[in-house]
Amino acid sequence: MLQQNLISVLILLPFIGALATAAHGFAPYRKPTHYRWIALGFSLATFALSLFLIRGGEPSVLSGFFFEENRAWIESISARYHVGVDGISLWLVILTTLLVPISVLASWNIEKRPLAFFMFMLLLESAMIGVFVSLDLLVFYLFFEASLVPMFFLIGVWGSGERRIYAAIKFFLYTAVGSLLMLVGIIALYYFFGTFDYPSILDAMRAGTVTLSARAEFWLFLAFALAFAIKVPVFPLHTWLPDAHTEAPTAGSVILAGILLKMGTYGLLRYNLTLFPDAAREFAPMMVTLAVIGIIYGALVAMVQPDVKRLVAYSSVSHMGFVILGLFSFTEQGMQGALYQMLNHGVSTGALFLIVGMIYERRHTRLIAEFGGLAHPMPWFSTFFVIASLSSIGLPALNGFVGEFLVLLGTWLSDSIRHPWIATMLAATGVIFAAVYLLWMLQRVVFGPVTNEENAHLQDLNGREKGLLVPLLALMLIMGVYPKFFLSRSRDSVLEVRERVMTATGGGSLAASPTQGGDRSEMVR
Amino acid sequence: MLDFINQHILSIIIFAPLVGAAINWLIGRRLRSEAFIGTVACTAVGISTVFAFIAAFRPETGALRAEAPILEHLWTWIEVGTFRADFALAMDRLSGIYALFITGVGLLIHIFATGYMHGDGGFYRFFSYMNLFMFMMLVLVLGDNLLLMFVGWEGVGLCSYLLIGYYLDRDEARVAAKKAFVANRVGDWGVILGVMLIFFLTGSISFFDKPDLPSALRIIGEMPIEPFAWSALFAGGITSAAILLFIGATGKSAQIPLYVWLPDAMAGPTPVSALIHAATMVTAGVYMIVRCSPIYAHAPTAMFIVAVIGAVTALFAATIGLAQNDIKKVLAYSTISQIGYMMLACGVGAFVAAIFHVMTHAFFKALLFLGSGSVIHAMHHEQDMRRMGGLRKYMPITFATMITGWLAICGIPIFAGFFSKDEILWKTWSTEAFAIPHGASRALWTIGAITALLTAVYMTRLMVMTFWGEERFREAHAHDAEAKPHAAVHASAGSHAHGEHAGAHHHHGPVTPHESPPVMTIPLVVLAVLSTFGGLVGVPYALSGGAIPNYFEKTLEPIVAHAPTHEEAANIEKRIAQTVARRGAEAPAAQPAAHETKHETAEHAAHSPEEVRSERIFSAISVIVALVGIGIGWSVFSKRPLLQMPRLLENKYYVDEIYDATIVRPIVRGATEGLWKLFDLGVIDGTLHAIASGVSSIGSLARRLQPGFVRTYAAIMLVGALILIGYFAYYGVLLLIRQ
Repeated sequence: MLQQNLISVLILLPFIGALATAAHGFAPYRKPTHYRWIALGFSLATFALSLFLIRGGEPSVLSGFFFEENRAWIESISARYHVGVDGISLWLVILTTLLVPISVLASWNIEKRPLAFFMFMLLLESAMIGVFVSLDLLVFYLFFEASLVPMFFLIGVWGSGERRIYAAIKFFLYTAVGSLLMLVGIIALYYFFGTFDYPSILDAMRAGTVTLSARAEFWLFLAFALAFAIKVPVFPLHTWLPDAHTEAPTAGSVILAGILLKMGTYGLLRYNLTLFPDAAREFAPMMVTLAVIGIIYGALVAMVQPDVKRLVAYSSVSHMGFVILGLFSFTEQGMQGALYQMLNHGVSTGALFLIVGMIYERRHTRLIAEFGGLAHPMPWFSTFFVIASLSSIGLPALNGFVGEFLVLLGTWLSDSIRHPWIATMLAATGVIFAAVYLLWMLQRVVFGPVTNEENAHLQDLNGREKGLLVPLLALMLIMGVYPKFFLSRSRDSVLEVRERVMTATGGGSLAASPTQGGDRSEMVR
Repeated sequence: MLDFINQHILSIIIFAPLVGAAINWLIGRRLRSEAFIGTVACTAVGISTVFAFIAAFRPETGALRAEAPILEHLWTWIEVGTFRADFALAMDRLSGIYALFITGVGLLIHIFATGYMHGDGGFYRFFSYMNLFMFMMLVLVLGDNLLLMFVGWEGVGLCSYLLIGYYLDRDEARVAAKKAFVANRVGDWGVILGVMLIFFLTGSISFFDKPDLPSALRIIGEMPIEPFAWSALFAGGITSAAILLFIGATGKSAQIPLYVWLPDAMAGPTPVSALIHAATMVTAGVYMIVRCSPIYAHAPTAMFIVAVIGAVTALFAATIGLAQNDIKKVLAYSTISQIGYMMLACGVGAFVAAIFHVMTHAFFKALLFLGSGSVIHAMHHEQDMRRMGGLRKYMPITFATMITGWLAICGIPIFAGFFSKDEILWKTWSTEAFAIPHGASRALWTIGAITALLTAVYMTRLMVMTFWGEERFREAHAHDAEAKPHAAVHASAGSHAHGEHAGAHHHHGPVTPHESPPVMTIPLVVLAVLSTFGGLVGVPYALSGGAIPNYFEKTLEPIVAHAPTHEEAANIEKRIAQTVARRGAEAPAAQPAAHETKHETAEHAAHSPEEVRSERIFSAISVIVALVGIGIGWSVFSKRPLLQMPRLLENKYYVDEIYDATIVRPIVRGATEGLWKLFDLGVIDGTLHAIASGVSSIGSLARRLQPGFVRTYAAIMLVGALILIGYFAYYGVLLLIRQ
């Protein structure tokens, strides 16, 4: 029973939790502290159940997905409730279910409207899980959009700064514009294929019963890619990110960096590469270029940020550049590395945002200049901060290294671009800059003498704070020394995508299309 | 049990220090007992040392005796596609020698440190890091592939970072720590790309042949030698790989242009300087080059560059060392200079000599650093030699042991440094390597000889300023007490290291130096013995006349690549030309290889009477150079120990300032003003805001929002979203009912 409906349970459980939180608001014996326990309970239960996904099951012969559920939904437009996981979505789902209870714990002492806060957290979890397991484009789109609303409120209502409204709206408009284009793309696909069902569309393409013209593929790729590129974010569409991160509450930042950004790269991997393989190959040089620019640009801008949180936010731009780079290398190493880097980024940057949140709670500032010598009053905090930074820097034997190395190696071996080693060499400089901005930050925040009196007697981390960081630190180490556990489970699914993008030829080749020049110039404009 | 140990001996060697680090971090921090922490740390390293000796010398399969390396597969680390990196260990003769002196010298330094760090607030932290360092260093040399070596490579960098920044209170410590890591990172950029290129060329990154994995080094060894041309650097072949790796070596082994971090790294505690920044970690670059000697043997252009960089660094650092007043800074520049020698040896194809010098240098430089540590300890953390003098009376053991280190580094016969340095100079002069044109070998030798002279001068200066002459420490401190502002300025300039003793310092009256406790002097004595007799394992034939076998060369020669000579290279080129001619337009296949001629020449050419004679002459020249250097040093500095040295040298040629002005500041400024403020906030956001305010009413609201409106807006959005979701849910429910 559970085996067959596991995924629906995973989607519904946090949703029920949200309803329970809301319902508890009417209970006569309610207290503001009750809601967090409800949220923690439901999110932990979801996490525990999600671990069953690892054990796997029989993959469906038809689609290659595990735990598949496929029911009729809106028959008039043949939209189906079709969900399932494969090696790609598996780890992203577990990352989601792991980061949510951690974020709940991180928001333990939230005072402003705890009911609504925890309700939104759980709603968000449902939506995020839904995004990763959807196999129907319409369902995917609904979940994709649904994740936007709770995050909008998390930033706009519980944000910390003066500019939180600005940041929330910027976030919303940016992503809404992108996803509207995707909606158009989805409707267009429906027009061509008569279904929203992703495996069916793929089958039709494989069988050659329906072929997209090169031009259609080009525009569809662009529509999807724009939505996802904004979400990732790919340079130069990233400017919503620093604002959203800086203003968001800690939990919001963790979820935003840890999971919401992955929706973009997941979408590119799942939909863009498989549905529009020819266009993907055409676009690869451009995406690689943007990725490399993003890696270096993000790192350089991160380096000079006066605000710790903004620094981490810009570092996300740099790190997500590695993911894009790996995806568009179209090599096994690069794509596996990209997937791994998604998980790494969730774990490492999630931990960094948690840590920054902890110091913000104590000092109500995040300006680097305000700190210095925190190792003296807060040794535990400093230890965790240093380890999380090292993981983000990509120190070998921690998780970040495996992902970055595989991405760089895959790029070097890539056929998708000319002179791939140039891209590799440039991207690898991002690894140097990562050390510069993070260690420089550590130098000014953690090490040295205590220069500011206010920092001299700060409370070190309490048991709850240590407890929510320890799982992430343990993961950094495990993922660094035994990546096989993760990579072996994603291997087949990634290879399938790779095979599709390398071998498929949809309609006519884009190069032969007479309108190509016109398309390109329009695109540039 | 015995079987288990036999099969997992390499794991025991590497993991014992890791366990020690963990125990001290978790338990030692609570107990705060120096005896406990010190015992755990030293025992951990002691276990490694014992097992390293067993692994190296056990009968039949011992790494230094047998032909085949000891292999130990732990788990497959990364396996994606055809790429595979194992977490597997290997000890062959090269890594065996490294493991021996790392654990041996490491153990002595750990013991010394229990005395040196006595009373320090971070005792447990210090020994955790030190043990962690030992683990990483052993992973570096015992890793059986390039990527695992890189784990150790960055791991030692991390420990170096933590230990340089160990004195948390000191501003210059945190700056130096970051500088060290970043400079190393720049080098690591090269290593990681080099590893990828090697994988690209060979399909493997393993050092050794394994059942299902060929050795990358063997495959490269079978490839044709690349031409001696600048274009080879950028051709993406073996030469490019060699240069990329060498970029890493310049970082880790502190060579031009990335050496700038090492002198600053002296901000760490002195045992750290001895262990990490003199004996072990900084010679990792030499290890890598010798490990990859087949790659360098096939890349003459790279070898030439290695030799030139090595020689120039040796000379350059020696001149700076001449003018430093901080005792540790002198030794730091001396280390850079000595590693330059090792690089020079690698560049001229004398890989064995390079490793020999690595080993003897580990002995005498560890001794010198620990000796200076003993002095600093006695002087209550005073490092400025201008405030020392006449210490030989007060610390006779330290003085006597330092003497052996001094004679060893100067290259006085019998002492260890003599044999290895002499070997390098002789091999430089007499090299036949294709990579080194004949004129160049003469020039390189001259640079090496001048460096030897300068080495003797600055080391004599150090000894004279510290141990002889009048006692300047009393006046110095009196002066300090009177002129506090001056002292404060001085302290912030970082010239003396108070560390966590800073508070205590000013309560002292004039210091009376005292000899260090036995726990510190015994390691000094052992190292002094090693510095004196350690060189006897590698006495060249020309000097011993065959009476003492050159055990060192005999052990290592079979496993390092032989750099092709001019003659061989010419032959190979001829053969390639013939092959090409025979095959017409076909490209030359990978058959005319260096390995065919590999071991022949070394055996034959050695020991011819003329060669023995000239080698002896050159040894005599070396000794004379050393004696002249000592003489100059003695006559100049014993009279005027405070002689003002040239400002240019004292200020290290202003290299830090130049890097700062030409690289660091432009990048920071460009990133702040150009990328962030102008492009990110100005161009991108500016455009968006313009669109928003100009076109869309929602956009203009984003700029000047009223809180009241936002709430309405949010409510509208929520309702909209709910309607949308509700609409689809309604259909879903309807459908369920119908079913």
